[in-house]
Parts: sequence; structure tokens; C-alpha cells
Amino acid sequence: MGEIAEVLIIGAGASGAVAAKHLAEAGVGVVCLEQGRQVEASEFYGDKPEWELMSQRLWHPNPNVRGLATDYPIDTSESDVNPLMFAGVGGSTLIYAAHWQRFMPSDFRVKSLDGVADDWPFTYQDLEPFYDHMDVEMGVSGLAGDPAYPPMTPPPLPPLPIGRIGRLAAKGMNDLGWHWWPAPQAIPSRAYRGRSQCARRGTCMQGCPEQAKASTDLTHWPEAIANGAQLITGARVREITVNAQGLASGAIWIDRDGVEHHQRAEKVIVCANGVGTPRLLLLSGGDRFAGGLANSSGLVGRNLMMHPYAATVGYFDEPLDSWLGPAGQAIHSMQFYETDTSRGFVRGAKWNAMPTGGPLGMRSAYGGAPLEEAWGENLHRATQKRFGHSFEWGIIAEDLPDPDNRVVLDDSLTDTDGIPSPKIIYRNSENTEKLIAFHLERQREAMEAAGAKSISTTTLMRDCGWHLMGTCRMGNDPETSVLDQWGASHDVPNLHVLDGSTFVTSSGFNPTATICAIALRSVMHMIETRADQRVAS
Amino acid sequence: MSALSDPRRAALNAIGDVLIPAALGMPSFTGAGDVDAMVDHVLSLRPELADSLNQALDRVGAGEEAATAAERLNREDPDGLATIGLVASSAYYMVPEVRRIMGYRGQEQRPATADEEHDYMRDNLLQPVIDRGPIYRDPDGG
Repeated sequence: MGEIAEVLIIGAGASGAVAAKHLAEAGVGVVCLEQGRQVEASEFYGDKPEWELMSQRLWHPNPNVRGLATDYPIDTSESDVNPLMFAGVGGSTLIYAAHWQRFMPSDFRVKSLDGVADDWPFTYQDLEPFYDHMDVEMGVSGLAGDPAYPPMTPPPLPPLPIGRIGRLAAKGMNDLGWHWWPAPQAIPSRAYRGRSQCARRGTCMQGCPEQAKASTDLTHWPEAIANGAQLITGARVREITVNAQGLASGAIWIDRDGVEHHQRAEKVIVCANGVGTPRLLLLSGGDRFAGGLANSSGLVGRNLMMHPYAATVGYFDEPLDSWLGPAGQAIHSMQFYETDTSRGFVRGAKWNAMPTGGPLGMRSAYGGAPLEEAWGENLHRATQKRFGHSFEWGIIAEDLPDPDNRVVLDDSLTDTDGIPSPKIIYRNSENTEKLIAFHLERQREAMEAAGAKSISTTTLMRDCGWHLMGTCRMGNDPETSVLDQWGASHDVPNLHVLDGSTFVTSSGFNPTATICAIALRSVMHMIETRADQRVAS
Repeated sequence: MSALSDPRRAALNAIGDVLIPAALGMPSFTGAGDVDAMVDHVLSLRPELADSLNQALDRVGAGEEAATAAERLNREDPDGLATIGLVASSAYYMVPEVRRIMGYRGQEQRPATADEEHDYMRDNLLQPVIDRGPIYRDPDGG
């Protein structure tokens, strides 16, 4: 490890993989440190009878439930929502649903349009070519012409079928005159670049055993490594180091034998997600950067947004095969996406119509309820009602930035290497609560229009923090942002962040397409301007 | 080697039949098939459940009627009862006969066929959405 890397990337998930692939292709020497490991497709349970059983532990998205040594525990005692993630090559793309959603043009101009939050330092049009490029790299399946968006380049693959649940949901929306569209997904409807056609097992969120879903261990890392990128797994970074000039000079990391290493680098890119990245910056900087590295604004860790998730389930008489995949979404709707102030709140949400999975469901969640409610004859009754006969309309509620919602270092909790864990302090806002209440009412109408015989709602799912955003926000003003529009720290010019931490606002969309597009835009700029950049020597 | 002692297995099977009785065309927990093997399989995959399961089963009194025990556990040790329920239902829904009755072949491979694609175009299901035109907001007011 004596050599100085041109670029050190911390984290091998979505943004880290995009950065590594493109830097390596451009001939840049890349070293990536990943605390997790390479996961093989055979380790996923989606093609095995034990799928649901293992989804509640080994492949649960909450690291506190998994409790793996490769995870870090998170103090969520002061949070309404649990953050979800996975550490490994490919990161959380291993277990994401692969909703491949672009933000809308209005999402980049929230302050100008609605007088809340902030505008982004770039526009939808600035990001559009990178969305297009990522569609091709990931192998996105979708249908061109969605009227919820400006005209755009068609995705490379035709859409996956919307299935019985999608058709039923669509009929309800048509009766109401509401928007819907076959959903875009980073899941190939045809064999694509070495990946299989989607087999529709519906287990995307516990890993794809078919090697179909676009996770970056499959889409980006093989090419990155073939082009010379060095990927070191089991490498837990505890601190980004800084030289006498105040530039990032590398990182101290610990291997799985407990041995510390110092990887030196000319430039450091942090891609450790919206919780892991601020944690690492707060752990770094020493006396020179009191309060954490790159944190002169005091905003590292603040403005955490996690997309509170609510849902409506409709139960139908007819068989819907509602265990059939993709797990994420058959159709989506942006009918109530934009602000209408007469509703009493600002901004909105995307809806996604989803299957409801296997028969086991969440049996373990019934402890303490009246016995006859969950068990006995009612177990069979409830299973027959739900299993194969239901679908879910989910709500991705736009979460506005609030500096009090934040990631801090925990006083006592640590990971297995003794590094302080993050603590999440997060409360839903009044705007969010009103937004969710409104959308749940509209979803009830949509379910009734679709012919649901009965309906149930979940007002807030605690295990829903899949989308970790905002904790190192971009902006033009160093006093009100951590990063510039290219993801470079205002304070430490050779330190970059490319993950969801960079987001100024959250939108009401699943963020991975935007994370990847921003990472690509930033990395291409880095490559184009490499001769002009200040780097550590 | 069996994952459970005989008394604990007997208690699990008795309470399992309370939680999952024969009804509505479905077999009971113990009537479903070789649930003993399935329970052992569940515990081999989820060994962290064993302590909670054993503690809950040990709270069942000798000769206590199973329905009474289940009600009492649900009041006094809801987490323990939930673990019994999770182990029993996980085992139950993996029994092939149970799946056959439910018409569930597991999370099967069913790649899309060409006639499933774009069916909403062929029958004009999507047409009203197309006809209504753009709904996005242009930040520049266009």
C-alpha cells in the first residue's frame, strides 16, 4: 500500500462503481476501499423455498437486523425511520428494487417554484445527458413517452409487462382520469450485456439470483477492474487523512485481521451513502478541521432526507399472481406529484403499484395483538385474502430538508473495529404528515376504482429509509452547502462526495438513477479538468 | 440431531396447531406434513431464534392446555409467542403440500413472453393517459 493512488474511492456501491469504471476507462489509477465483500448470486435465496424466512434476517435491508460484521450498527433511538443499506461490492444496489426514476425538471427548482428548501446548482437539462448514459449502462427497461416528463431519449430495452396487478391498477386510474405509466426499471426485459432476462421471481429486494437486475457489481465493477481499478474488500475506513496543505491525502483503513493501513492518494472520493459519508467526514479532519472534515458550513450530516413511505393495499377476488415480479413496481403515477397549495402542503409523491409477495408476509409482527386476530382460522382467512389477490400502491413522499434531521456520531455505539457508529436524529415534518394523509386518501379512491373488496393502509413504515440523501448538500455558497456542483468540497478541493449525500432536495422519486447520473456528470468533469486540479502530492 | 428436545417439540406442535388449525381447506400445522423436519430446517437457517423459542416453550406448563398456554404467552411474553408463530408459520409455508393447496410454486421463474408486452397498447388501456398529454411542470414557465 505504499503507492499513491491517483484517485481513492471509498465505497463500492452505486456512485463508487460509476466513478471507478469511468475513471479507469480514462486511464486514471483508481483504488477503491469497500468494507463489505463480493456477494455471489448463489448466496441469494430468491430461487429457494427459504426466501421469505431469510429476507427477515440475513437479507433484511436494516443493518441493525442483519447484525453482520461488515455492517456498522446505527443508533435509531431518536428517529422515526430506520435507515436501510447494504455494505458490499455493489452496495445497496444488491438489494434495491431498481425503480429507475429520473427527477422531474421542477425538482431542481423547488425554492423558485414553491418557496421552500433550495434550488439545485444545476438543472434537469444539465443532468439529462447523464441520465441517458446511465440508462444504457444499467440496461433500463421502459416505455418512451411518459407525459409526466419532458420528451426524452427512449430507454434501451422495452418495458417489462405490467402484469395483472398493473392492469388492474391502471383501470382504476383510468376511471378516475389519473396519470399512470408502465414503470421504468433497471431490470432487463431482454438479455443485456451479459445479464439474463428478468425471470420475474419478485425477489429483487433480497438480491437477484438470476443475475438480471442491474446491480453495480455486475454492471460496472467488472469493466472497472478490467481497466485497472483496484478493488479492496473488507477494508473499513476510519479516517480520511489531510496533509499540511489542507488537502486530502488518503485514508486509514482496517483489514479483516485488524491491521491498519494508510492508502495515500492524490484525490479522495467518498461514496459511502447518505449516512456513511457524513459519518466518515465527522470522524476525519483532526484539530485542523474541528467539527469534521469539509464542515466549515456545519452542514455535514444535516438535512438528512429518507423518504417516509406509506402504502395502501387493496384486496381483490380475482387471482392476480401477486407474488410475481419485478418486486418494485409495475406502473407508477405522478398524478399528485406537483405542488397544489389548496391541499395544505407543498410538493408531492410518486406512487408505485407493487406485488405483495409470498405467503409468510410479516407473521412475526403480530406478537401481542389478540391471538384470534392474527392466528387460528383468521391466519388462513388473512392469507387467502392477501396472498395472490392483492397489490400495493406505495407512496414515495418528498421529504423536505430540515437541518435538525441529521447524522451525528454516537457517544457509545461502535462497529466491530471500534469506530464510532452514526446516530440518526430524524422526525417527520408536518408537511410530510399532511402529504401522506392526502395521498393515502387518494390511493383509497384509486383502489376502490380498481374494484378492491377491502383496503388497508400503512401510514408510515418504520423500515423504509432506503433513500439516504442530503447530508453533504451541493450548492454555490460555501456557507450554505458542503460541496460545489461537481461534488467537490468547498473546503478541501481534492475531496469529493458523489453519493446521495449531495442532494439538495429529495424529490419524490427513488434516487439511484439520479445518484448515478450526478456521479457520472461529476466524474466526467473531473476527467476533463484533471490537468487543472489541485491534488495531494 | 434434533434442534428441539422432545418436551419442547411437543409444546411447539401443540401451540402450532392452535395458531395454525385445520380450517378453510388448509391443513393444521402438524397435519401439513413433516413439519418436524421443516422446523429443524428453519432453526438451522435462523439459529438466533432458538433461545427465544426455547424460553417461550419452557414457559408452557406441564399438562397445560395448548390454547390456554398460547393465550397466556401472548399476554405475558408476546415476543416469545411471536417467535413460536414465526417458526411454525415459516415451516408450514415451506411444506410442499401446503404450497400445492395454495397454488404457490414459490418465487418461480416466469420470464415475460412477447404477448405480455405492450398489451396496454393493443387494447388501448394506456390511450387515455396519452390523450391527456403532458402533466409535468416546466420550471421556466413554458
